[in-house]
Amino acid sequence: MSLSGDGVGSDARETDRGTWWLVAQRDFWYRLRDKGFVISSGITLAVLTGLILLRAYGGSGTPTFDLGLLGTGSTRLGPLVVQAGNGQGTDVRTRPVADRDAAEAALADGSVDAVLVDGKSLLAEREVPNELETAVQTAVVADGIRTTLEANDVPPDEISQILTPTPVPVETLEPQDPNRETNSTVAFIAVVILYGQLFGYGVWVATGVIEEKASRVVEILLATIRARQLLAGKILGIGTLGMLQLIVIAAYSIVLASLTGALDFPAHALGTAALAIGWFMLGFAFYASLFAVAGSLVSRMEELQNVIVPLNLVILVSFFLAIGATSDPNSTLSVIVSIVPFSSALAMPVRISLGAATSFEIVAALVVSIGSTALLIPLAGRIYSGAVLRTGARVKLRDAWRSASN
Amino acid sequence: MLELLDLSRRFGDIIALDGVTFSIPDGEIVGFVGPNGAGKTTTMRIALGVLEPDAGDVRWNGRPIDAEARRRFGYMPEERGLYPKMKVQEQLVYLARLHGLSRPDASRRAAETIEVLGVAERANDRVENLSLGNQQRVQLAAALVHRPDVLILDEPFSGLDPVGVDALTGVLRGEAGGRGVPVVFSSHQLELVERLCDRVVLIDHGRIIAAGTIEELRASREQRRLRVHVTGAPEDWYDAIPGVRLVEATSNDGLVLELADGVDEQRVLDLARGAGDVTHFSRERASLAELFREAVRT
Repeated sequence: MSLSGDGVGSDARETDRGTWWLVAQRDFWYRLRDKGFVISSGITLAVLTGLILLRAYGGSGTPTFDLGLLGTGSTRLGPLVVQAGNGQGTDVRTRPVADRDAAEAALADGSVDAVLVDGKSLLAEREVPNELETAVQTAVVADGIRTTLEANDVPPDEISQILTPTPVPVETLEPQDPNRETNSTVAFIAVVILYGQLFGYGVWVATGVIEEKASRVVEILLATIRARQLLAGKILGIGTLGMLQLIVIAAYSIVLASLTGALDFPAHALGTAALAIGWFMLGFAFYASLFAVAGSLVSRMEELQNVIVPLNLVILVSFFLAIGATSDPNSTLSVIVSIVPFSSALAMPVRISLGAATSFEIVAALVVSIGSTALLIPLAGRIYSGAVLRTGARVKLRDAWRSASN
Repeated sequence: MLELLDLSRRFGDIIALDGVTFSIPDGEIVGFVGPNGAGKTTTMRIALGVLEPDAGDVRWNGRPIDAEARRRFGYMPEERGLYPKMKVQEQLVYLARLHGLSRPDASRRAAETIEVLGVAERANDRVENLSLGNQQRVQLAAALVHRPDVLILDEPFSGLDPVGVDALTGVLRGEAGGRGVPVVFSSHQLELVERLCDRVVLIDHGRIIAAGTIEELRASREQRRLRVHVTGAPEDWYDAIPGVRLVEATSNDGLVLELADGVDEQRVLDLARGAGDVTHFSRERASLAELFREAVRT
């Protein structure tokens, strides 16, 4: 039994530089085809679709009410109620009702929300919606004023001028962005997704490391590639997948939100998404190194939870701090958490997106983030290479550090 | 030729290797034997660059090994390991590419290798779904798929049935004899090592205690042994010559005698003939197992 090929140089060889790239490719494709990935992506998109559709079609538009008009007094008041409703941002649609029985039937089948009886009282099935009641109230008052003014011979165009409300000009000391609420919502969603990506893909790095360690395939891999190349390839492959998923999620959400009208100002959401993607790369490089170290310390998948608890906590605390920054981006706490390495990837994009971060703070956060990652990666690489061949009991950080040969 | 020169390695307070030196010439199969914990796996890991030595050198064709040369080694670790969820062919292609083959070459070699090793029909099965025997074959395929320049196998025969042993023996002979690859493997199956290997290296407590061909090892024994059958002789007939010691008395009046340095075999024969009828007189060839036990004992 023998194999063909003389081995020595008979096959085309790839260069050494390509090995970490091969690792990255394998980790990327392997996980892209993973059932878990496909399912979780589907769930994420479904949840976002639900949120966007709810915002576009669910209740957040102008409130609309149907009012039945019973009796001549009501018919005269009808246009005044509509006008009063318009003044307060409520759509009121009126229609005549023949008698008391017809009124009760219309209330019962829900075709009207309330019935105005003889211009004097309101009839409803259980209660009258507040906005509708206010509109009717205003109309009754206006009608009273008009009757009095007419009785005192005030000219009709003067009367209608008095009764037509003109908006009072508003001046603010600190002007608010009119899209502020939408922007915070977008920032909030961005933080939630960013947290999910950082944590989810970080755990994937840890499971990938444990998988190779538990199956012992790592020893074969390390005979062809240095531990740090293996680590770099894995982080790059999984991180690229996370980034692409983030881009797909962002693009899908923004397109859907624009098409359905859930977002009035998609350009801003686009900017927030770009920020989230950029900071994902920075945050992932940092956290993935830590997750890889955590994974390399244990030999069985069952032990994963134990080693990632501290990391899990750190990300969760960062997440809540960043959520806090979506509502109060200018507080001292928000400024600090947007600069320190563990939370900056989550909090800084929020503050930039809400226009709260100064250029100095942005540069500081970038320097701290890139600098701390640059310091962390060699440390993580050393611990990883010292721990990844030691199977059995959980490896202590200090032992891993010492047994690493370089 | 692969040379290991004066390798030393500690793990904390434990000295795993203490000046290990030996070489594996092209086209030879070297058996690497020693008790558990003697340092075999550590030596192999250092040869592969999986571990760094504290001191010493590994040379390939007279030069220190760089990463590029190391990628052309083939390795089968004692702790078998493959990606359980990856398909056989896909996995071998990946490993071949890590070893430096281009994608088309990797595909071709992977297909050839599983064909030769008889697992071609499982090419698209996940490794975890294969029988243990077939997993072992795929593991061997992983070591061979890139047509390595050097083969380093840690306990390759453990867990193989006799058919598997024959198949692996054939592959190793093919690699060494056919392609001229230096092959080193560790094993506790000493009869197998004796049958298959051109040379044997014996390690204990991190030191090489013997190395050479089996004949050289035998020759280096301080004592020689004789197997003598004499009928009708008194039980202690050999006592007349100083330096002769009884090792073992077998049935049919057979004895195994150990001769100290300077004792002439012919004098023992003369004495035996004087004592009774000599029906058998031969040099006792020590088995590798005996050499191993003696070497480890001292």
